[in-house]
Amino acid sequence: MIPGRCRAGRREILANALALLLLIAGTHAVAVGVVDWNPSRWMAPWSGDVVLVAAGLVFLGLAFLMPLHSGMLNLGIHAEFLAGYSVGALIVRGRVFGPAGEAGLGLVAGALAGALVGIVISGLRRRFAVHEILSGLLLAAVFVPIARAISVERVTPPALAIDLPAFTEPLRWAPGMGLAPGVILGWGILLLTLSLASSVLFANFLRTSVSGFEVRASGSNPLAAASIGTDVEGIQRSMMALGGACAGLTGALQLWTSPAVALERWPFPLGFAGIAVAFLGLGSLRGAAIVAIVLAAWLNTPYVGTVLGEPSYGAAAAALLLLPALWVLPRTVPDFGAPRSIWRTRHRD
Amino acid sequence: MGGKDAMLAVRDLTVASNGDWAIKGLSLAVRPGDVHLILGERATGKTRLLETIAGLRAPQQGAVALEDGDDGGSGAGGTRAKILRRRVAIIPREAPVRQLKVIERLLLHATPRVAKLGIAWKRGREEARALAARVGLEALLDVPYEALRPVERRLIELAAVIRQKPAALLLDEPTTELGPHEARHFLATLRSVAEAERIPAIVATTWPRDAYPDGSAVTILWRDAPPATLSTVEYTEGSVVERWTGGLDIRRTPSGPHAAGDTLVRVEGLILKGRGRETSLAGLDFDVRAGEVLAVVGAPADGLDLLHDALLGNRMPERGSILFLGKEIARSPRRQRVESGMTFVNPPVARDQSVDEFTVEENMILGQTHAPPFARRGLLRPESIRGNCLRSLQDFEIAGATPRTRLRDLGLGQRQRIIVAREVIHNPRLLVVRSPGQGLSLEEQEYVRRTLILQCERGSGLLWLTEEPEEGMRVADRMAVLTVGRLVWIPVTETLTREGIIAEMSGAAA
Repeated sequence: MIPGRCRAGRREILANALALLLLIAGTHAVAVGVVDWNPSRWMAPWSGDVVLVAAGLVFLGLAFLMPLHSGMLNLGIHAEFLAGYSVGALIVRGRVFGPAGEAGLGLVAGALAGALVGIVISGLRRRFAVHEILSGLLLAAVFVPIARAISVERVTPPALAIDLPAFTEPLRWAPGMGLAPGVILGWGILLLTLSLASSVLFANFLRTSVSGFEVRASGSNPLAAASIGTDVEGIQRSMMALGGACAGLTGALQLWTSPAVALERWPFPLGFAGIAVAFLGLGSLRGAAIVAIVLAAWLNTPYVGTVLGEPSYGAAAAALLLLPALWVLPRTVPDFGAPRSIWRTRHRD
Repeated sequence: MGGKDAMLAVRDLTVASNGDWAIKGLSLAVRPGDVHLILGERATGKTRLLETIAGLRAPQQGAVALEDGDDGGSGAGGTRAKILRRRVAIIPREAPVRQLKVIERLLLHATPRVAKLGIAWKRGREEARALAARVGLEALLDVPYEALRPVERRLIELAAVIRQKPAALLLDEPTTELGPHEARHFLATLRSVAEAERIPAIVATTWPRDAYPDGSAVTILWRDAPPATLSTVEYTEGSVVERWTGGLDIRRTPSGPHAAGDTLVRVEGLILKGRGRETSLAGLDFDVRAGEVLAVVGAPADGLDLLHDALLGNRMPERGSILFLGKEIARSPRRQRVESGMTFVNPPVARDQSVDEFTVEENMILGQTHAPPFARRGLLRPESIRGNCLRSLQDFEIAGATPRTRLRDLGLGQRQRIIVAREVIHNPRLLVVRSPGQGLSLEEQEYVRRTLILQCERGSGLLWLTEEPEEGMRVADRMAVLTVGRLVWIPVTETLTREGIIAEMSGAAA
């Protein structure tokens, strides 16, 4: 766990583990009663979706955790996600660059769009004192119809099949997983590697660099950080931009994702998955990465999609996923609330 | 809330704290109209005790009762707690609301209604005016609560509680933010209200001075020792302090007269407008020289907070200059001031000088990471940071702390030692100190004072801002009292007394 962030102990870890266990066991217990239960389906090989889903969840977790470390609650994560999706969709609609170019450009533009939304949210807070929770939720509501209006059919991922044919063969180093070959697996491995590397780099940045020290100080006690001359607002803006980029990238990725990808089974708006991942991971980057992989595996197990398709069970799963917020959130925000203290710090001048 | 003329009786009370006891075997009786003081440093269980008396916490042992024939003294524990919650009012340390006007605050808990729907503003205004008049603030009904001076906020809270007609009144550290003359005024008002309403009042405090002249008795709380109750009629303030400290010598170590040195900081014509009803700074002129302690004594709302903010760089003065080592710094940010050799030590409870979630070693480098030895090329240097921390912990006798201990796990005194160590260790030219021992045990207070004065003897200048006259007398080479936004200079002589300083503060304010 990154020092100076979540004041959680063994009890919270146990509570999160219980919530996760209840979620996984609960969906399968429900499945026995709801669908035609057939244990042989467990023996079928997993698709590459599990890797792609894990990558998406890790990025979304990062999108929430990066601003959280600087004291911002990025509830605009869904707006950033949809912004990335919308911009990616616009590029695909243009049909100008060819499949490979569209994929590369779409992902970069999606990340930039998400970052821009993050900057807008922090700007609204700095300029007009609009709390990031309010602006984040409102922007998400604005982006929902936009994303629907310019939505396109999912596009076949083009790039990796060209130069990396090995990914179309079964993986020698992971035979036990039973992962099916396919282009989607190549994308997934690349993205999962990228997301995990981003997590490790960010954790290292927080622990060893002067800027990381200032990020942690801003998140833990903005008053003290401001009093030693740290540009708290600048740091929070940067972190919102970075978090927004991660969410935007995940949004854009949905365009190149197979309809079978299990992220579609998520029981509430997908952007908010980052919040569940972050809280279940106790606000730490390592925890979030572990939880993302566990949740990805859970979503790929048989019957989960069917169970979550039922509105009542879906709602129950959503409640369980967000339940840890009850005990994690109070332990992650500064003692006296960052927004008010920042407001006061700024207006003392 | 209930009837009056009830005596508040506490019998053999033991209050738990994290599985252990905080207060053991406390017995006291407060008669109607009396003000009883609970004296103790921070973390001795004062707030827990008040919450237990108010029925908000269950005692581990013993009982609390209102003895007027209408109480739950003989009832079961749950019933008794319910009765206490209904009849005993508690005023917490932090004001619960700030965004309201005074009239709205006074009517908050029982707003007069028209047909249970609309608000009867005319009747409400009359009621609020009558309440505010009880504490002498009827002219402030339409002033925003946030704009009030601390003493006025306290008085308004008192007036709001009277409206609930409690059978007993508990106040948690109401004088912490007040100057001595303000504290005296507040306690005199409390006493008159308690007498008029015929209710007992209990006040938790960290100042022995609060017991005189309006307190009837003082209960002293220590950590890990049974409490003791002393009557203010039988014991003088001096003997209460002696009993509290166990005869610890808290007088200033004679440091000898400081040789007059170069002027470090010169403040000229400093004008700064106060917020709300805070007194503005009306043109301050003073200088601090190397090797001397200049003490400025005043109430926070009389300009002490403003002066502190101006020196910290939190607020820019409207006019005037602050020359530090010949350079104008009135409009420069705090970081620039620190980098040019000025450092700050704030009260231990101030939240802008440490990060509770950080470790001791991280707090030791706060604000010092932009240059070697603790950082190079944008990266922290763990060996330097650890070495600095280990040396500081040893030099400043900070027992029970390691470099990896989180600051939040340490006591207030240890934390303040860490902050003093951090600020002193790089030998600053000027130390701006604001009530550095507030709320600490007397032993810790004395350690912090000695450490800071020792730094002064090494050639640094020391500007000591405090609301406590005695502290000023103990440390000052020169002293000024801040009243109505101006400085009144007082010669530091053998005959100088606390009463004289308070008279200067309150006299000029009147």
